[in-house]
Amino acid sequence: MKKLLSLVLALAMLLSLSVPAMAETVTLKVWGSQEDQALLTTLIDFFKAANPDKTWDITLGVVGEPDAKTRYLEDPAAAADVFAFANDQLIDLVNADALYEVTRNKEAIVAANSAGSVESATLDGVLYGYPMTADNGYFLYYDKSVLSEEDVQTLDGILAKANAAGKKVLMDVSNGWYVASFFLGAGCTLSLDADGNQVCDFNNEKGVAAGEAIRAFCADPAFMTGDDSVIQGGMGDTICAAVTGAWNAEALQAKLGDNYAACKLPTFTCGGEQVQMGSFIGTKLIGVNTQSAYPVEAMMLAEFLTNEAAQAKRFEVRELGPSNVNVAATEEVKANVALAALSAQSAYGTSQKLVLGTYWTPAEAFGLAMENKSTDDMKTLLDSMVAQITGK
Amino acid sequence: MLGMTQNIAKKHIRPKEGFFKRTFGPLLQAFREGDAWTRLSAIIMGLGNLRRGQIIKGLLMLAFEVGFFLFHIFFGWQYLKDFGTLGTVSQRRVWDEAVQIYRRVPGDNSMLILLFSVLTLATIIPFVLIWAANMKSALKVQKQAEAGVKPNTFIQDLKTLLDERFHITLLTMPMISLAAFTVLPIIFMVLIAFTNFDKTHQPPGSLFTWVGMTNVTDVFWGDALKSRTFFGILGWTLIWAVFATFTNYILGMILAMMINKKGIRLKKMWRTIFVITIAVPQFVSLLLVSKMFTDTGVVNVLLQQWGLTDGPIPFLTDPTLARILVIVVNLWVGIPYTMLMTTGILMNIPADLYESASIDGAGPVRQFFSITLPYMLFVTTPQMITTFVGNINNFNVIYLLTTGGPLTLDYYQAGKTDLLVTWLYKLTVNEQNYSLASTIGIFIFLIVSSLSLLVYNLTGSVKKEDQFQ
Repeated sequence: MKKLLSLVLALAMLLSLSVPAMAETVTLKVWGSQEDQALLTTLIDFFKAANPDKTWDITLGVVGEPDAKTRYLEDPAAAADVFAFANDQLIDLVNADALYEVTRNKEAIVAANSAGSVESATLDGVLYGYPMTADNGYFLYYDKSVLSEEDVQTLDGILAKANAAGKKVLMDVSNGWYVASFFLGAGCTLSLDADGNQVCDFNNEKGVAAGEAIRAFCADPAFMTGDDSVIQGGMGDTICAAVTGAWNAEALQAKLGDNYAACKLPTFTCGGEQVQMGSFIGTKLIGVNTQSAYPVEAMMLAEFLTNEAAQAKRFEVRELGPSNVNVAATEEVKANVALAALSAQSAYGTSQKLVLGTYWTPAEAFGLAMENKSTDDMKTLLDSMVAQITGK
Repeated sequence: MLGMTQNIAKKHIRPKEGFFKRTFGPLLQAFREGDAWTRLSAIIMGLGNLRRGQIIKGLLMLAFEVGFFLFHIFFGWQYLKDFGTLGTVSQRRVWDEAVQIYRRVPGDNSMLILLFSVLTLATIIPFVLIWAANMKSALKVQKQAEAGVKPNTFIQDLKTLLDERFHITLLTMPMISLAAFTVLPIIFMVLIAFTNFDKTHQPPGSLFTWVGMTNVTDVFWGDALKSRTFFGILGWTLIWAVFATFTNYILGMILAMMINKKGIRLKKMWRTIFVITIAVPQFVSLLLVSKMFTDTGVVNVLLQQWGLTDGPIPFLTDPTLARILVIVVNLWVGIPYTMLMTTGILMNIPADLYESASIDGAGPVRQFFSITLPYMLFVTTPQMITTFVGNINNFNVIYLLTTGGPLTLDYYQAGKTDLLVTWLYKLTVNEQNYSLASTIGIFIFLIVSSLSLLVYNLTGSVKKEDQFQ
């Protein structure tokens, strides 16, 4: 009997020891892009070391920022607690009530990050994400041996030199992200109405002029289209200038060597005048899933992954442009050619926040028609594109 | 064989009302001829069996009834009560001062309501079946008791499951799995077509609800853009399916006949070479080919270097060229299969047919059309129907080669080589427009099933089944 009693007591003691310890295990799932996995692993280890009072069970999943919204909406309950996403997905995610508001330490977070990046994560005055990077934009890379600083001021100048040298100018016009550059530069806008529907005026007079400019650009013998692999493969060989973003910086620097240069986008001829090309400027944010079982801990992790030290590390490892003001002010960041060009272009940038998912496919279809040298009436083409974008 | 045919014939002759009579006859009989215990079994299941000494069987039935009602009251009802609206309260937020966050209070979830309502409603069917069995059983044991026969013990009942009721033992699990994993999901998916489940109605943040036939009418005439897309894609889907099926069939057959011809040496080597293309996984070939035909791909670069073209040929971005390309590339993927299959059948055609044909003076062309082709068609038509249906839903070739592109402003979120099934995929994965996708899924099913049933029943293989040599 005594033996039995002692066994029961021993078991009870074991249970009493293990129950609180089990309750303290915080299980979190994090989504990040394939390229970020190593960095995230390091940062999560730092996070665990900085918060030893809890037992952490943090798993990493590979979901890139562009796919975060789609994968989230497939099954919110199975999605990650903490995930990185591009800020153009903000509206759809907020509509699905996917994101926790940033309420803890809000002042500190707002103060630490650039005003633009905070604004890009804000909707109706509510902050929904932790700014992570502020480099989701595009600008011009060029080959210094072919083009001078003078040439890259205008698109016409670039094309003239490229034709003379028998080289190509690459821009992925059949991609809504890049093709918008002309429309935004001409003064067209994408916005939302009171009901949250997309408003788009790419089919007004300015838009038609911009469309004709795109048609002329695509018809130029030096024009070329293609994706990242084409840019990385052809830059310096057949391509002398390309419009793309900071993620290609490392590869292009290696390819061009001493001839590596980058600057803001050029001006283009729109209705007889020189107009500066616009661009989408986006940020990457980290969000906390409203379905999370551990919201407070998830917020701690999200904040940790975007704090000054983490952003410095992210720049060091991946050369991604920081949204943190202190990191952005460091000499290393300022000396980065690509990020300097991006920052020059951002003066002409439009936030991608107000672009709904319905924009991309019609815009791509329009760009494709231009690349295929469509001779259809520009106004008709733009009308049907806008009708599809606005859903009317 | 003869006996079996007669059996089948008998079953066919049996009048239609037989089913209802067989099912409901004993039930009515149970109420008409049953005593109080038997009739009360309608309310308290298993009572009749309990009264006649079949304790375990009676208790099992009672337990089933209790379990069914508990399930409905404590689980099913909470979803079923919202089935009409699919939920009204979405997820709410409540400020939590202690940790400074807006905690989420779960609201209704349209998807779970729909899913579990279907499940709950579906449980009524087995309940009715077992209830009917309970009535029959109660009457049977009553009759046995009246006749002075001792009813079966539970062990004896179980033994019958291995003997005269062995079909029940064998088929129960497959039937349950079929219902749970095939029929229920299909009903659920079909119901989604009558809701507005899309990306602006994503539970738990915002709920979806019934919209009646809106999606169906949108596809046909209600929404000009969507109906133009649907009919445009449907037309191309059928053109594609016809071309993909018959080009593969004819060219594969010609290839097989060429290899099979007398006097061709190294037959095995030729066959092996063509079979190697099967050994390379289909998706690998397709992805490679799609890279080869881009503007900067190897084909265009070579053409330009040889001076055959000035600029890149838009193989993948021009609608007509892209359509031709997918059909041609599909030959590469499909011909080896047809060749393999055809070879087997060709070798099976009796050689004396050809010998007597050539004695009668028939040339190779006449022999082909009078002997080879009829024989081939007779054997392979059912297989061709499967191929045709497979091509209507041929996701791989289209999606991996062109992803449905080139996109066009004429279509709603679709491109010129999109099939219905790839459009459906884009609608679900990129657009989260589940309701429209579900509607299109239903149409694909209707088109495919009616086409195959119709054609199959018209084929010689079915009509002249007994004439096969």
